[in-house]
Amino acid sequence: MLSLLLWPAGLLIELLLLVRSVQTKTFTKYIYFYAYISCVFIVSAGLFIGHSRLEFYEAWYWPTQFATLAMGCAVVLEIVRQALTAYPGAERFARVASWVVFAATFCYAEWHVARRTVWSTSNATVELERDLRVIEALVLATVMAIVFYYRIELGKNVTGMIVGFGAYVGVSVASLALRAFVGPRFNAGWGNLQTASYFFALIVWTVALWTYSPNPDPPGGGGGGGGYDALVDGTRARLESVRSQLGGVAR
Amino acid sequence: MVGLLLYLALGIGLLVFLWALARRKGAPVEGCGRQFVEARQALRTLQFGLLPENLIQRIFDPEDFRYVTAASSGKIGELFLQERTRISLMWVRRVRSEIRNLMHFHLAYSRLHAKLSLLTEIRLALDFALLLMACRAMRILLYLRGPYGARSMVRVLTATAGRVCAASEKSLAFLNTPALESFRRDSAGHGAAI
Repeated sequence: MLSLLLWPAGLLIELLLLVRSVQTKTFTKYIYFYAYISCVFIVSAGLFIGHSRLEFYEAWYWPTQFATLAMGCAVVLEIVRQALTAYPGAERFARVASWVVFAATFCYAEWHVARRTVWSTSNATVELERDLRVIEALVLATVMAIVFYYRIELGKNVTGMIVGFGAYVGVSVASLALRAFVGPRFNAGWGNLQTASYFFALIVWTVALWTYSPNPDPPGGGGGGGGYDALVDGTRARLESVRSQLGGVAR
Repeated sequence: MVGLLLYLALGIGLLVFLWALARRKGAPVEGCGRQFVEARQALRTLQFGLLPENLIQRIFDPEDFRYVTAASSGKIGELFLQERTRISLMWVRRVRSEIRNLMHFHLAYSRLHAKLSLLTEIRLALDFALLLMACRAMRILLYLRGPYGARSMVRVLTATAGRVCAASEKSLAFLNTPALESFRRDSAGHGAAI
C-alpha cells in the first residue's frame, strides 16, 4: 500500500528533479547523477504503466532493477568525482581504497557462493543485489571517512547526493540482509523500506539540488607533488621529536 | 546470523556516518597564507611557549615543592601540589592541542598532493593517533602520580627541544622561500606576524 502511494509521487519528484536540472543547467555538471535519475525515471514509469499486468511486471522487474543498480554505481562515481576532484591526494587515496574495498567484497561474495550447497535463484538474486549494495555502501563510507579525515569542505549539492544516496543504500543493505535471512515472508516489509528510503532520497536530492551550489574551492598552494616528500619528512621528524619528549615525560 | 549482524551493522553505520555528515559544521576555508601562519604559530608555541627549558623546570622541578613544604604548613604544601598538578595537566593539554594543529597542517597540504602515498598516509595517521593517545595516557599518569612522578622529563625535553626547532624549520622551509611574500600579504589582514 505504502509502495503504491509513494511510487507515483516518486515519479513526479524525479520529473521535477530532471526539469529543474535543465532549468539550472546542472544536468551537464552532474551528468552521471542525472543519468541515474533519468534511468530510474524511465524504468519506474514503464513498470508503473505495466504493473497491473502481473506477468509483465514479473518479467521486467529484476532486469530493470539490475540496470538501475548498475547505474547506482555511477552515482558513487559522481560523488567521488565531485567531492575529491580538487584534492588530488585525497582523491588518489579514495581511488585505491575503493579498489581494495571492491576486491575484498568480491572475494568474500565468491567465497560465500562457493561454500553454498543448496542453490536458489530468487535467493541468489537478492544476495547479488545485497552484495552490490554492500560495495556501494563501503565505497561511500570510505569517501566519507576521507572527507572527515582531510576536513574537506563539500557544497550543498554533493552533500545532498551523499546523504540521499547513502540513506537509500544503507537501508537497502540492512533490508536485503533481513530479506535473505527471513526469506519471502519479509518481502512486504522489504518493499516498503526500499520505497520509503528511495522517496526520502528523492526529497533530499530535490532540496539539495534545487540551486547550483558547487564545492568551495580548496585553499591555494601545494598540489605540485614535488613538496610531498619534504612535507612527509618534516611531519615525521616533528612526530619523532614530540614522541621522544613525551616518552621522557612518561618515564 | 553473524553475516546478518555484519550487514545490519554496515547499514546502520553508514546511516550514522550520514547523520554526522549532515550535521557537520563547515570549517572556514582558510587561505594558504593563514594556514602557513597557523602552522608556524603551532611550532613556535611548541618551541618557545611549551618546551623551553626554564618553563619545564619551573613546572616539574620538585625543588619548589620542597621549599614550600619546608617553609610552611602541610596544608599549603598540599595546595601547592594541587596547583602544580593542574598546571602540568594544562601543559600536556596544550602540547596535545599543538600536535593536533600540526596534524591538521599536514592533512591540509597532503590532500592537495597528487603524489600522496597511501601507505605513508596510513602510517602517519597511526603515528598521530598513537601520539595523541600517549598525551592522554600522560595526563592520566600526571593525574595519578602528580607532577613530580616523571623527573627525567626535564633532561629529555631540554635535549630534544633543539631537535624540534630544527626539524620544524626544515619541514616548513619548502613553503617558506618561494611564496613568503604572498603569504605575508595574505596574512597581513589578520594582523599575524610571520
